[in-house]
Amino acid sequence: MIASIKAEWRKNRFRPAFLVSAGLIAGIVVLFYSAEWYQATHPGGPRESISILTLFPDQLVNNVMGAGFPLGAAMALVLGALITGSEYSWGTLKTVFTQRPGRLATLTGRVVVFQVWMGIITLIIFAVGAAYSVVIASAQGHAISWPAAVDIAKGAGAMWLVLAVNGSLGMVLGVLFRQSAAALGVGLIYVTVLQIIVVRFITSFNGGTYKWITNWFDGQNATALLQTFTSPVFGPSPPPAIGAQQAVLVLVGYLAVFLIASAALLRQRDVT
Amino acid sequence: MENTTVIETTELTKRYGNGVLAVDSVGMSVRRGEVYGFLGPNGAGKTTTLRMLVGLIRPTSGTATVAGHEPGDPAGLAKIGSLVEAPGFYPYLSGRENLKVVADYAGVSHKRVEEVLDIVELTSRAGRKFGTYSTGMKQRLGVAAALLKDPELLILDEPTSGLDPQGMAEMRKLIKDIGQGNRTVLLSSHLLTEVEQICDRVGVISGGKLVTQSTVQELLGEEGVLVKAEPADRAYELLAGMFGVSAVSRQDGSIRLKTDPAGSLEINSRLVAAGIGVSELRPFERSLEEVFFQLTGEKQGS
Repeated sequence: MIASIKAEWRKNRFRPAFLVSAGLIAGIVVLFYSAEWYQATHPGGPRESISILTLFPDQLVNNVMGAGFPLGAAMALVLGALITGSEYSWGTLKTVFTQRPGRLATLTGRVVVFQVWMGIITLIIFAVGAAYSVVIASAQGHAISWPAAVDIAKGAGAMWLVLAVNGSLGMVLGVLFRQSAAALGVGLIYVTVLQIIVVRFITSFNGGTYKWITNWFDGQNATALLQTFTSPVFGPSPPPAIGAQQAVLVLVGYLAVFLIASAALLRQRDVT
Repeated sequence: MENTTVIETTELTKRYGNGVLAVDSVGMSVRRGEVYGFLGPNGAGKTTTLRMLVGLIRPTSGTATVAGHEPGDPAGLAKIGSLVEAPGFYPYLSGRENLKVVADYAGVSHKRVEEVLDIVELTSRAGRKFGTYSTGMKQRLGVAAALLKDPELLILDEPTSGLDPQGMAEMRKLIKDIGQGNRTVLLSSHLLTEVEQICDRVGVISGGKLVTQSTVQELLGEEGVLVKAEPADRAYELLAGMFGVSAVSRQDGSIRLKTDPAGSLEINSRLVAAGIGVSELRPFERSLEEVFFQLTGEKQGS
């Protein structure tokens, strides 16, 4: 398995898709902070005003969580679909499977490296957010203070889990369709459109009798988990319908199901 | 040369989900140290068989033992180098980096990467991205990857496919060189001259069935004598009388005799003495092409 991890890291450390995604997510965090800074310092526009207090370093964890879903999740899904699907289109799966490690050891190496990359992207989101919040605090003459380390760890963990689950969904779709294009299409439609429509339908069906079912959707749990990171400076917000503990358990369940499904498909199916 | 078997299949069969019977009860045996040619027309089942031998696809029925293990067993894969169909590498990595990735998977030192690049004469271009490689360079990199483990069994599927004549000649020489010594090479091809030039033994597959398996010499059969004479009917009758009907056949305006070419002088004398004009009399050997078309039922020139 160590051999697989080494090989997977060697081929993915400079992979353009990962590097571009890392740059893109950093750019989005910068854009997000810039837009909010402008809105906070130029009130009276058509949008609801934003408190400048939300942009200072002590609110870092609560503020960057907005990047996790659906944007970060969609990006993770794309990367997951690429890391498995492109192995089929490049014909590299047969090259890899005819080396020494077995199929499951190869998949394990791929999953480890992919989840490391999700961790790197999480760190980038936090690092860029932290840097920009320091810039804003300095410009506004506000004292720089940071959230507690445990809160940063919890926030980063939650962000990583959301990215990991959606990335694993991309991975299993890449294996299922044996290509990245179909996996990307289906995955993105599910995350950004289909799931939302289904949740709305179930919520409104029969006066909301079956609303409890929506608490088991991965998107609902990801959103709820990220929404638990808030503070009074963000203004009043309704409590999440799903508690953080349940959200974590459900998301871990999804992660396990996606990885087991990937392993079963890879192990059983012919490589043609 | 040890006479142990490196590949042994029994009733190996693959039927795909759509009902297509790609490989039908193939029983092949490849001996240690030989270069074995796996010959067949396109779509005959060569690649499917090779995929089963390296564990990429599972047989519907039958068994196979490859390098002492079941196909796909990591212990067996450690002894096998393979290039099945087009070489598959990462287009954004250089040739050298691609080989390092494969070496990491295989648990092979990166020092070996430079050695195999040298063997396939790709060192000077190893820093270029795989996506920019020509077909010939891709094939060479594929062979280099197959050699990384210094394997006791090398499985190459149409390694000259897509190469120009010079590239084909170079690849043949390379395969001949790496097939020296105790290494076993299983070479799949539909190019008859390639197999005839390189291989010690051949297996011919057609319609998913292994129709024959023998040495190239056995397949080509005994030497004989080709005679062109006039009148041809009288020449045929005389020669049939001399050697027996079963040893004489007519083909393309000539008569072929299954006999030792050393007796050509007497054949000529007898024909001339009978008043038959001899325009051509020479030893002949069947080409692998003829044998192949006969065995597979394919038409020459089609």
